[in-house]
Formats: sequence, structure tokens, C-alpha cells
Amino acid sequence: MTFDRLNRRVHLYLAMFLLPWFFMYAVSSIPFSHASYFRTLYDDGTPQWTQRFEREYDLALPEQTEGDREIGARILQDLGLDGAFDTYRPNPRTLFVSLVEFQNRTRVVYSADERRLALQDGQLRWYEFLQGMHARGGFRQDLFLHDAWAWTVDFVMVAILFWIASGLYMWWHLPAQRFWGSLVLAAGAGSFVLFLYVL
Amino acid sequence: MVPLGLGSQAARTGSRAQSFRGRGVFARQFCPQGVLMFSKLIRRVHMYLALFFMPWMLIYALSTIAMNHRDFFRDMYGGEPVVWEKEQEQVYPGTFSEDAEPKSIGLALLTHLRLDGGDYSARRSPDGRSIVVLRNDPVVPRRITYTPADRLVIVEKQLFRASAFLERMHRRRGFESEYVLNDAWGVSVDLVIVAMIFWVFSGLWMWWELKATRTLGAVLMLAGAGLFAMFLFTI
Repeated sequence: MTFDRLNRRVHLYLAMFLLPWFFMYAVSSIPFSHASYFRTLYDDGTPQWTQRFEREYDLALPEQTEGDREIGARILQDLGLDGAFDTYRPNPRTLFVSLVEFQNRTRVVYSADERRLALQDGQLRWYEFLQGMHARGGFRQDLFLHDAWAWTVDFVMVAILFWIASGLYMWWHLPAQRFWGSLVLAAGAGSFVLFLYVL
Repeated sequence: MVPLGLGSQAARTGSRAQSFRGRGVFARQFCPQGVLMFSKLIRRVHMYLALFFMPWMLIYALSTIAMNHRDFFRDMYGGEPVVWEKEQEQVYPGTFSEDAEPKSIGLALLTHLRLDGGDYSARRSPDGRSIVVLRNDPVVPRRITYTPADRLVIVEKQLFRASAFLERMHRRRGFESEYVLNDAWGVSVDLVIVAMIFWVFSGLWMWWELKATRTLGAVLMLAGAGLFAMFLFTI
């Protein structure tokens, strides 16, 4: 097998294996690119979050946010919940603890001033489902399957870099396409640089 | 119908013959001329779209790696990658009405500082004492803090850090401001999305034309789909 053929085959087979991810990243970019339109799809008055229950709860919420993950883990443990989660403070005295799942939306809202926490279920909006898939990544969860997903994200990105390099190699080995290919390449690079300058 | 054999293929020019290299007996002998031309068109469009949008794909790939490993870059920079450096300080030669919206104050400040013409956001600080304007720029974003009490304007620029730059470019979108260039960027993003979807389908077409790769290709495609589905239902 020549290097040329090997390059082509790896380009092809990587794409076959990673097709679901590549397609997902493309389609899920649409609601990000047109966020204001997609927000209007659900403005019929249906609440985005419904409360499952609310109860008294007292836990210190310091000003510094560095310890929010430990606080979130404690809250989930006290509620008998587990799994991957993220934390967010809409204001210094409120903590959101959101369970990270592709197919469900669940969050705990803790108000330190009122000493109350509420467990809420979110309406799964299909465009937010896509956005969730797009944005999922990172190694902060310290859970095997979540780390495995993050590694596949890395793998897809390395594959994209490989497709670029292997694609350039294949293009260069089509002498009849070098002239127009160079023009198109320069046009694309020039457009991109222009955007960097004028945006 | 006379099948396309090697004889007719040999009559083509060198570049065309080269473009059919590796196509397999199936394409050469059983496909009508129109299908072959369509196939060639698919290949060319697949290639030229990739050449044009290479910078976008490069940015999206590198930025995703940066975002996927935020802790690594935080350690590399010895702290948060977003660092502001004071650039200038001055007194704004004017006043705003008490009910002026942050957005209009922000535009006036940017115009005064000759930083207008691009995407920006403006909000009141949490303590309500100042207006904070973020002038979005791919390379050098700026933060303008205006305090109405003394009309002091502090302009800070963000120090360039590769990971922060990459993440800004990844997140940059259009259609949410009145600036045409912003929308032009949004259109380019949409075109990249369309190109990605085209690459998927044109890639499947090209794979199917290579008979020798069908079995392994199908196995890999099913394996990838299976792994993806497993993640979808477990995390």
C-alpha cells in the first residue's frame, strides 16, 4: 500500500467512524448561530422550569465561588441524587446545581438568604438538547463515561486536523487542481483574515 | 448501451483519467456518463469547499481542544486566561440622562473613544455604580467602565492569550447586532455548517462508489453510530 492510498483510506475511514459527531456538531451549530429565532419557538407561555418540590435547607454559601462544586456535591448527596453536575451563581447568594444529562434537564436552586432549596425539572427543548450535545466536554466531572465523551471530543478534533492535512496532501497530488485550489485556498484565508481585522 | 470500458477511458485526457483513478470496475463499466460527471462534481465541490473553509475548520478544531482542556491552559497561564490591562483613563466630556439605557450609553462612549463600528454589550455593574461596556474584537477586546458620579472612563484591553482568542472565535456569532459585518460573519458560519453537512453526504457518496471500501466502511460507520448512541443514552 502506498502512502497516498493509506492517506486516502485513513481520511475515509476516520470520517465513517466519526460521522455521527461531525454531523451533530454541524446541525447543533444552527441554534447557536440563530439563537434569537430559536428562543421564539417556545414563547407560548409554557414555563421552562416546573418545581418538583421545595424545602428548607441551610448551608453556608461563601462569597468565593471556588468551592461551589463541593457545595453542589453536598446538596445533591443530601437530596439523594448523584451523577455529573455543573454549578452556576446567577447572583452571589443563589446557587444553581444542574445535573448534566443529554436527555433530561434537572436543577436544584439554593437560596442562601431564604435558606430554601427547590428541585426543578426543565422542559426539554429540542434545540437546547442539540446545544447541550454541542457544548458537552471537559474533564471536570471525574466520571468515567463523561471523561470518555471528552476524549472522543478530542479525537474528533484531532481527526479534523488530520482531515485538513490529508486533504491538502490529496489536493496537492492533483496537479490539474493546484491552480484553482490555490486561488480558493487564498480566497478563504483572505476572507478569514479580513474578518479578524474588521469585526 | 455500450458499457464504459477501459477503451473509452483511455481516450480521456490525462487529468480526467487521473480523476477516475481508484474508482473501481463498477464505475467504469456500469455507470452512465452523467453519473460519472455528477460524481466528479461531487468530488470537486467536496474538495474546493474544504480548501475555502479550512481556516474556519482549523479554528473550530483548535478552539475545541482549548475549551476541552481549560484547566491545562489555566495552569499554563498561572491563572485565568482573561486578563485586563489598563490602556487609558479620561473624563467623559458630557453627561447622560438618569434613565439612559446602558446600551445607548455604551454606544456614546464607544463613539467618543473611536471604538464604535463593531459588536458590543453594555450593562450596569452589580453595585449599580457604573456602566460596563464590552467591545467585542477578535484579537483585542476592550472593557470600558464608566462611572457617572465622576464621569470617569477607564479603558482596559484584554491581553492576548491564544486559548482566549480561540474560544472567542469559536463563540462569535452574528445576527444579534445592527452591524452588517457581524451578520456577514454569521453568514460565513452558516455556510460552514452547510459545508459540513455537504461533506457528510458527499463523503458517503464517494465511499459508496469505492466498492472495495464498503464492508470496512459500513462496519466503522455502525461502530461509530453505536458508540454515539451509547453515550446518548448513558450520560
